[in-house]
Amino acid sequence: MDAHVTTAAAAAGAKVQDLAWMVLASPLLCGAGTWFFTRRLRGLTAGLNLFGIALSLLLSVILLGVADGQPVAATPFEWLPIPGLGFTLGLQVDRLSVLMSLVVTVVASLVMVYSTAYMHDDASFSRFFCKLSLFVFSMLGIVLADNLVMMFAFWELVGVSSYLLIGFWHGKPEAGDAAKKAFLTNRLGDFGFLLGILVVWSATGTVRLSELAAKLHAEPGLLGSMAGVAGLLVFMGAMGKSAQFPLHVWLPDAMEGPTPVSALIHAATMVAAGVYMLCRVFFLYTVPAGWPEALEFLGNLGAGMIIGHVGAFTALLAALMAVQQDDIKRILAYSTLSQLGYMVMAVGLGAAEGTPAAGLFHLVTHAFFKAMLFLGAGSVIHACHHEQDIWRMGGLRKKMPVTFWAFVLGTLALAGVPPFSGFYSKDEILATALHVAPPLFFVAVAVAILTTFYMGRLVLVAFMGEARSEHASHAHESPRAMTMPLVVLAVPSVVIAWFPLGEHIASAFGGHGHGAGHGASGGASAVGLLPLLEKIFGGLDAAILGPFNHNAMAATFGLFAVLLGGSLAWACYGKGGPDPLPGLLGGWARLMRRKFYFDEIYSGLVIPLHDMLGAAFSLADRWLLGGLVVRGLHGTVELAGRALRLVQTGNLQTYSFLFAAGLAVVAWFFLR
Amino acid sequence: MNLTTSLVVAPLVAAFLVLMVPGNFRVVTRGIALLGGLVTLLLGVAVFVRFDPSGPQYQMESLVPWVSSSSFRLGLHLGVDGVGASMLLVTALVGFSAIAVSWNIERQSKLFYILLLVMLGGALGTFASLDLFFFYFFNELALVPTFIMIGVWGTGEDKDYAAFKITLYLTAGALVALAGLIGLYTLSGASSLDLVELQRHLAKTPLSPSVQAFLFPCLLLGFGTLVGLWPFHSWAPQGYGCAPSATAMMHAGILKKAGLLALLRVALPLMPQGVERWMPVLALLCVGNLLWCGFTAMRQRDLNLLVGHSSLAHMGFAFLGIASVSVVGLTGTVLVMVSHALLAALSFAVTGWLRHHVGTLDMDKMGGLLRRMPFIGTVMVMCFMAGCGLPGFGNFAGEATVMFGAWKSAPWIVVIAAWGGLIIGGVYMLRSIRSVLHGALPEEWGAVSDAAGAWRRLPFALMAGGLLFLGVFPSTVTRRVQPALAKVVEQARPAAAKAAATGAGLVNSPKLAGTPGDR
Repeated sequence: MDAHVTTAAAAAGAKVQDLAWMVLASPLLCGAGTWFFTRRLRGLTAGLNLFGIALSLLLSVILLGVADGQPVAATPFEWLPIPGLGFTLGLQVDRLSVLMSLVVTVVASLVMVYSTAYMHDDASFSRFFCKLSLFVFSMLGIVLADNLVMMFAFWELVGVSSYLLIGFWHGKPEAGDAAKKAFLTNRLGDFGFLLGILVVWSATGTVRLSELAAKLHAEPGLLGSMAGVAGLLVFMGAMGKSAQFPLHVWLPDAMEGPTPVSALIHAATMVAAGVYMLCRVFFLYTVPAGWPEALEFLGNLGAGMIIGHVGAFTALLAALMAVQQDDIKRILAYSTLSQLGYMVMAVGLGAAEGTPAAGLFHLVTHAFFKAMLFLGAGSVIHACHHEQDIWRMGGLRKKMPVTFWAFVLGTLALAGVPPFSGFYSKDEILATALHVAPPLFFVAVAVAILTTFYMGRLVLVAFMGEARSEHASHAHESPRAMTMPLVVLAVPSVVIAWFPLGEHIASAFGGHGHGAGHGASGGASAVGLLPLLEKIFGGLDAAILGPFNHNAMAATFGLFAVLLGGSLAWACYGKGGPDPLPGLLGGWARLMRRKFYFDEIYSGLVIPLHDMLGAAFSLADRWLLGGLVVRGLHGTVELAGRALRLVQTGNLQTYSFLFAAGLAVVAWFFLR
Repeated sequence: MNLTTSLVVAPLVAAFLVLMVPGNFRVVTRGIALLGGLVTLLLGVAVFVRFDPSGPQYQMESLVPWVSSSSFRLGLHLGVDGVGASMLLVTALVGFSAIAVSWNIERQSKLFYILLLVMLGGALGTFASLDLFFFYFFNELALVPTFIMIGVWGTGEDKDYAAFKITLYLTAGALVALAGLIGLYTLSGASSLDLVELQRHLAKTPLSPSVQAFLFPCLLLGFGTLVGLWPFHSWAPQGYGCAPSATAMMHAGILKKAGLLALLRVALPLMPQGVERWMPVLALLCVGNLLWCGFTAMRQRDLNLLVGHSSLAHMGFAFLGIASVSVVGLTGTVLVMVSHALLAALSFAVTGWLRHHVGTLDMDKMGGLLRRMPFIGTVMVMCFMAGCGLPGFGNFAGEATVMFGAWKSAPWIVVIAAWGGLIIGGVYMLRSIRSVLHGALPEEWGAVSDAAGAWRRLPFALMAGGLLFLGVFPSTVTRRVQPALAKVVEQARPAAAKAAATGAGLVNSPKLAGTPGDR
């Protein structure tokens, strides 16, 4: 197959385009097909949607072999051809996008299999699958988009499909509220993203990623004083989708949606879209820093550095919040927030090193183990009759062995225990931080300690010890359709980092900052499927022990964090009993439990501000415009009418008097 | 009779036929009205498809002379350019849908259908007229039934005040615009109000700057009032709030756009100096639409008032595109006009359904209706999502294009527009979805019914489908309007157009506000 590709490269180019379009179209077509035709047939609905995702997955695998490093641009669809603007929909198939579409389709297809069981008794079974397919379509659109406007369009579509899925059980008031909050918070980010696109477009005259990369490569100062602002505005989009401080508040609430949705959208894919997008437009962050007059005090501080700090702060804040949550899904949600903070930090700091590879690496490993953790949590919730409080679980280890072991593997990966995948990706992040910004390195280590601690707490409380409630004591293992995805996901969660995945990702950014002659964001060296496989098995042992050779200090600190966090968790929760932390920490524990009161601050400040403005304008509308102007106009006309009516008395004497008076005035006027 | 003329005449003939049928034959009157609407729709599609963007500026023309003396000529001159063709199609579509959703009119339904068909004919005539006299005539022909329909079939306590207010405002606006048109005729020394002749005449002997300086605001504010330009907007929400849904659909969706068309066809190309002096003012006024009306929409508790305010906010985008006087911005304006026509009509169709079945539009009393009304609820979600600028619907294409078109000339206003469209629009649209469709279902609405059967669903599906089509294939419209708009910009900004022709690329408008990007 590889040889065939190299011999007929031109023909393959055409094929790649068609394949890429099919990757994008197949979930949409299958989703729409179900919506219109098979809505009443559950089996067919599930089958058709699964087929759509599986086809995308298969095609993505083929693309991995075919896309040989040279980015292939698919034939654009002329969406809005206007002279001087010209929006097109086109696909860019390169290593980055193929890798990401693989992650999306793998997780999505497993989540779909899982959902056939999880949603089995739901009355809106078909609606769920249609929306899931819509989501996958939108997400793949972001991944494959070859220009910023198209990316923005699919960005919004992802937002709306997340809105629809969070609010899936729309009868529940909390679900409706959470969906609304998620969409609006995302919108705040999108606002910045759109302005960022406008700034970039007005400075460079194009929105196509490959052209932008080439232009900025040729002339790094092209954005001039707007470089920093453009970078930060675009980052706002990522802030919304990837839930970075201060737009992080929507993600925990989004857990109101069905658990498969949380696993797919709010752990593995949508929230990672922000990080992916930053990688996609990474060329914006490697240009020299520049600020307009009002922001000149920032000096040489690049947008990347600011982003790095935002990410680190989010990571720490969310980890602290996670420590005192009781809802199993919310703990995982805060953990997701914290890990996203890691990724964003890595991408931001990566700007100084010329590559965001560390962040993307963590994105990939995190997608697998976090999806698995969520699906495991869903399995637990399913077994405990929709009980989500970990303090009412307990003792599930023996009753749900498959779920338990999968959950433990996921926890080890998330905590960063070698040789599980999380260790390697986290290590790269720590190494980047140590290299670029040592203070952030210690923040990152603190987060790693906290991560191990709260995950240890979760596992110890929910799975170990005795059953803490009626439901938990009657729990039993979930059906095969639910455990199978757990087992499948466990494999990449453990082993994926053993392969030179990190190098593969790093080579996708080889073109940046090193003066290589190709403009687009794809890498240079040929990576077909076979060479990739050779590399994988050749470098296996080197990869496993790599971190200690590469940056021993980062790896050692990472290991130390795991040990410390783990032992703390064991000390607090190893013996069962109630949570000792509120007693130990006092007010701090309450602060963490109440999420540092961000929700209260927002609902007490931002929303009333808008409502107040609304009230003021509305009042002005009613009284000033409606009252004074309209009633005033009405009043004057009516008053004039009344005044004139006084004259029309019907009395002959009055008329003759007025006539004479008028005559006198006219006479006076002329004879004066 | 050519295609354009038949399109304009079809609903009027149908109105006449309905008039001939006794009033108690309700099925027959409705049948004729529907058939008339359907024929109109098909003719509208035919006009749109037959229009050839590479052909002459005005196509499918017909001229029936009426008055002709040496100094004054008047004639029914019909024809379409790309903008007209697009508006005619969407008018026919909304008109048919408006007739189709009026099944619940019981009192004096014969008169209702006559008025609705006359309104449709008037609206079509407005968009097809190339003679300004007939443009004005057809516009009034469509407006008068509006007032009557609100007064007779309107609902709500304030319907009389609303009818009175809308009449007052629109008449005043039309009067100011008429003054401008008469001024244009007398001061230009042209012998006709025919648009083609006027353009030819003014190309040779342009109006003096001082004349343009006071004629332009007459047209801008007069036609602006018809569209709901801030601060002459407050007639709209109340009027729509009380109007029967077919009337609100036709007026908010279609008739409002006549003012925009007049600005595009008359004010911009004929008075370049007026454009230069007044477009910055328009750019500032449209902030009023974008922010003020957006914020007031947030305050509304009545769904109809909310939709009315939001449609005013959307007009801000249309004005912003005009204020940019660039091909990109104007293309955006036309896209906004066309998609907002469908959006507003669809919103009022949905609220009409809710009002009829639920009995109230007070959002505080509603809730959980999605469970009882999956179809209407889904349409409402689609419609409101389109309203807050979701990609995939025509409105996003239009609004994004406007923002790109206006960015170079007025970046800060684009920032406001983005805030208004993405955030404020999002807030009120989602809040209303939350309080109407989501949450617990109050017991009293346990028996409300959804639109069942293909026939009831057809108008909703048509309009929602139209919005989706425009979102995915906006090029069907933009390709057709391009030549006309390029010509408008060429006439409105002669200097910039020349620069563009010599290879400067994008049309650069003068700086209306500070450009952060250029420092």
